[in-house]
Amino acid sequence: MITHFCALSRCAAHAPVGKSFRIAAALACRPANLALAVLLLSSCDQSKIQVYRIPKENVQVAMESGSSAIVPPPPSAPVKWTKPEGWEEQPLSEMRQGSFRASGPNGKTADISVVSFPGDAGGVESNVNRWRSQVQLPPLAGEAMGGAVQHLTANGKDALLVDVQTPNGAGKPARILGAILQTADRSWFVKMTGDPDFLESQKTRFLEFVQSFEFENTPPVAWEDGAPNTVKSTNDKQ
Amino acid sequence: MIDKLAKFFKPIASLKLTIICLACALVLITVGTLDQVNIGIFEAQNRYFKSFFLYFPLPGTDLKIPWFFGGYTIGGILLINLIAAHVARFKFTWKKAGIVVLHSGLILLLIGQLLTSLFQVESQMRLDQGEARNYSESFYHDELAIIDTSAPDSDQVISIPDSKLRKGNRVNLPLDSLEVALGDYYPNSALINPSQLPSPDYPHLKLGPMAVAVPVAKTYKQDERNMPAASVSVFQNGKSVGAWNLAGGFPKPITFQAGGKSYQIVLRPKRYYKPFFVRLDEFRHDRYAGTDIAKNFSSRVRLIDQNKHQDRESLIFMNHPLRYAGLTFYQAGFDNNDHTTILQVVKNPSWLIPYVSCALMALGMIVQFGMHLTSFVRRRVIA
Repeated sequence: MITHFCALSRCAAHAPVGKSFRIAAALACRPANLALAVLLLSSCDQSKIQVYRIPKENVQVAMESGSSAIVPPPPSAPVKWTKPEGWEEQPLSEMRQGSFRASGPNGKTADISVVSFPGDAGGVESNVNRWRSQVQLPPLAGEAMGGAVQHLTANGKDALLVDVQTPNGAGKPARILGAILQTADRSWFVKMTGDPDFLESQKTRFLEFVQSFEFENTPPVAWEDGAPNTVKSTNDKQ
Repeated sequence: MIDKLAKFFKPIASLKLTIICLACALVLITVGTLDQVNIGIFEAQNRYFKSFFLYFPLPGTDLKIPWFFGGYTIGGILLINLIAAHVARFKFTWKKAGIVVLHSGLILLLIGQLLTSLFQVESQMRLDQGEARNYSESFYHDELAIIDTSAPDSDQVISIPDSKLRKGNRVNLPLDSLEVALGDYYPNSALINPSQLPSPDYPHLKLGPMAVAVPVAKTYKQDERNMPAASVSVFQNGKSVGAWNLAGGFPKPITFQAGGKSYQIVLRPKRYYKPFFVRLDEFRHDRYAGTDIAKNFSSRVRLIDQNKHQDRESLIFMNHPLRYAGLTFYQAGFDNNDHTTILQVVKNPSWLIPYVSCALMALGMIVQFGMHLTSFVRRRVIA
């Protein structure tokens, strides 16, 4: 019986899906094997490596009626922005959804990045303190934290703005201009780093850049609303 | 011949066995229902009802000791017991026709439940307003997908199920002599900033300069999903192609080249592709006037199946699912301040069996009680 079962398992494991159905159907002809066949079929789906072909995600699907067409939007790009003049696009990395470089006189440059994480990405406090630690500033908490961030309200969006720079006497002077935007399911971080004086000249462009953010289908959540939404079931009590 | 069959089936047709099985089922259902609080409905179903035995893991070892019968064993014995009872004591009389029909309904119900638990596939389709998708995603299972993107109009997907994702496992892929080797694998992980690590030695997978994945306990809560993370190396003909750390909470595919072809690799919820698209035109969350009490949830969707020249609108709401191509789309949830709908997609080839078996049982009862009633009335009339 065990040998019988092993032989069947091997057979089914190497057979394509269509074939394993035929094997199961042949087995089912003998009543004693019916239960075995059912178990074999059930195990096909969850434990086998599957190979299949799909249309490319950005292929347009023409509607049957009318001339309109639908395009499944790429899930990885739910945001649009306007790049300020003078900023050069840089190659994207695994983490960066946007990457730019601003160049100024005397070879001064600033690096601008856009990254996003699901949920609140650890919260505002830990992220602001992370930026502070990068310019050798001590962490803040509570009311002191409230004073260190500014609210930006432009274009109906609510963003937090952080402007920190290395303390006097620190080795190489550096400054970070950071903005945190919240959508319903993600947190977006826009960060500009570089020489403090050069960043001062770029601050207006940076603010314009942050204010140009448009989120498709997921409008930014006001910070006053608290934590980002969690999925709700229609069975939940409202 | 019938006598021989009856003799063979008599021991397993015992009524005592039925009572023992029913008592075991009572214990199983009670324990399984109570444990649902700790491990959630999906895990409770798998451990208690979709299993042959309940196991007790020996602490400190990989050994598991069976300590009670699972749902498949009890249900299976009950089914055999019921069939055997009919075969062993089979003497068809019109007086017992109702009982035979009723019991055949019960047998069909048990078989239907077995088929449902084996073949039913549940997944979710999450659609933002205006978005169209041709796949749904499992809420419980993940996959490591390697996608050959070199063809101009289609992609070839190799999906490795999460049951094969274990630390140290090597998986040969049935395409282009590719092989995947797994390093660390966390069934559930949290993404944190590297500065939040308790110590540099704390187990973690680096995802980038701003994020690391750390292992956390698996969640069984109904509204939470496990987010796996894995360290993956890919080889072609034994030569290394690349090694990456992947996390389910960061499902952006990584692109790599191998043998002159372009591939993507991603760890993501298991996908079930369909030969058609569903687009969300409008999600409505109606409330009673002047209150926040929900009155109605509905999704107006458009179904586009180019192969079958289908292009139609459908409204999905409570008790009005969309049925198409053997799939049923139910309204299950919403997100994003009512901008996203979540549809439960159920594939259950045996969905009709419970209806047929319930009808048979009702018919059996009507026939049996009807016969009793008529003979009772007749006796009274004669008296």
